[in-house]
Amino acid sequence: MRQFGQPRGQRLFEGILINAGVSWAILGLAALGGLLSERSGIINIALEGKMLTAASVSAAVGIQTGSAVLGLVAGVVAAIVLSLTHYALTQAYNLDHIVSGMALNFFALGATNFLGSRIPASSGVAVFPGSAFTAALLIGALLIALVMVRSRFGLRLLATGNDPEKAREVGILTHRVRLQAMIFTGVFCGLSGVAVMSNIAGFSDRMTAGQGYIALAALIVSEWKPVRVVVVTLVFALFQAVQIQMQGKPVFGVELPSEFWSSLPYLVTLLALGGLLGKVRPPRGLGQP
Amino acid sequence: MSSRVRIGILIAVTAGLMLVAASMVGVNVFAILDAMILSSYKDTVRFTVMLQKLTVYTVAGVAVHLALRAGLFNIGVEGQFLMGGLAASVAALSVPGSVGMVLGALAGATAGGLWAWPAGWLKARKGSHEVISTIMLNAIAANLSFYLIAGVLKDPKASTAATANLPAETRIPAVLTHYVGMNALVINGALLVAAIVYVVYYRWLTRSVKGFEVSAVGENPTAARFAGVNSPSVVLRAMVSSGAIAGFAGSLHLMSATGKFVSSFSDGYGYDSLGVALLSGGHPAALIPSAVLFATLGAGTPKVQQLGVPLGLTTVVLALVIVIFAAIRATKGAKTV
Repeated sequence: MRQFGQPRGQRLFEGILINAGVSWAILGLAALGGLLSERSGIINIALEGKMLTAASVSAAVGIQTGSAVLGLVAGVVAAIVLSLTHYALTQAYNLDHIVSGMALNFFALGATNFLGSRIPASSGVAVFPGSAFTAALLIGALLIALVMVRSRFGLRLLATGNDPEKAREVGILTHRVRLQAMIFTGVFCGLSGVAVMSNIAGFSDRMTAGQGYIALAALIVSEWKPVRVVVVTLVFALFQAVQIQMQGKPVFGVELPSEFWSSLPYLVTLLALGGLLGKVRPPRGLGQP
Repeated sequence: MSSRVRIGILIAVTAGLMLVAASMVGVNVFAILDAMILSSYKDTVRFTVMLQKLTVYTVAGVAVHLALRAGLFNIGVEGQFLMGGLAASVAALSVPGSVGMVLGALAGATAGGLWAWPAGWLKARKGSHEVISTIMLNAIAANLSFYLIAGVLKDPKASTAATANLPAETRIPAVLTHYVGMNALVINGALLVAAIVYVVYYRWLTRSVKGFEVSAVGENPTAARFAGVNSPSVVLRAMVSSGAIAGFAGSLHLMSATGKFVSSFSDGYGYDSLGVALLSGGHPAALIPSAVLFATLGAGTPKVQQLGVPLGLTTVVLALVIVIFAAIRATKGAKTV
């Protein structure tokens, strides 16, 4: 039944846009976090773990204190701690970057489950609106784009990520550059995780549900460029929103199963990796000591 | 800082974390350790579960290990395991008797290999990182398998999404059943099959030309190419073989432990197997102790939960163990994987 004569198509469209805005912020902020890390040469598959940790910690602190600001700060700090752990393991302990990332994702899964069992069940946490995170994404991408080409730090970051050996020869302290990059990786992944928490205004186990991996795929498809990250994550977010809105709605008279719509973002990601673009070129020094 | 000091710091931080966690739940550390480690060996039911998990971890661990040797992180074992179990259930339900059992195993391996193929192709031809593509394939496998067992493959008599039960003659029989009171300790034939898979893999990897090629590509793809090895083709074959072994693990699990395909068929086996292989480092000999550790902790988890300790603690412990062992290997200058 139509409400107040508003056409069905328009409501559907609005629903898609509202959902897309939230997903866009979540995926985009996480991908920007990954961009800073990988541009400095550190492979980062632990975006998911950082987001999950930030989301859970911000829910716990938000429930305990009733403050959206404290929740946000705590979530971001937790993500920074995890990011610095990844830095320490890959740079000081020389762990393989993927092993360290996987272990941190494992750790985050277990630790947040543990934390969740300590959080009192609560209805409603004070949160920031979704649009605040979308704004953070746009401002963040612009800043990173400017910093990367216009600032001393940005050029050092690119030099380190492209060829750490040569960067050291010309006197760049690559470890310090990477440390700084990883702090900001923590900030952006933290914001993304807090956006996940804000969207559901509470805690649930595994609440990031693999978004960190989709963000990483978006980063690869964007070829590690900040403005492209914004565009690609918007496309990914639109597909996710379509998926949510189209569940149970017939397409040309055929009702597709909900599992098809749930798989759509993953399918699109696979196709994007496979056919839609040529061979992607990662930063040359990615994974090098 | 000397490497010994660094490892010392790491272990101290880990121990500190564990003590904080234990004090948070207010349960004696020794009681937790007892439930986590020893409960699998005190109780025939838990021991049987441990052996079932060991079967999966051994075969799926071999799958991850093979890919690792070729320089690939096959996170897709989870999805390949699911598709293998699903295909095996279809084959074993349609053909009766031991023929069905063999067909089930073949179908499982085929489905697993096919499910790994896109990731291998993307890596070999496009250079797309297999970590991303396999995670996407895992999500699709979970959705697809649930759709099928809730739809066309659903047992009409079942109230939940599940296939019908395999008849007794298409299940892998027990080689030993020992009763302690009312509880049975069962050693299933699947464990022997897993042991054979492991031994064959070990010999293949260390003694055959193909096994050497895989390791050469994993060590240095460029050098391997100059030595006349077709790296992209080895990458693709390693990925598909890894998937086939993971799918075979799924069919073993179906025909020995679960007897039907249910929505909770995997219980995270694929991700755990990744942990098994990462913990073992490069060497195949370390796979078995690593699989035993994962199976022991996995089977002990329900006991830990009974103490009021959240499920996540076991995952945290495993993550920390992986980090510590990898760090020890790395400080010795060895490769971490």
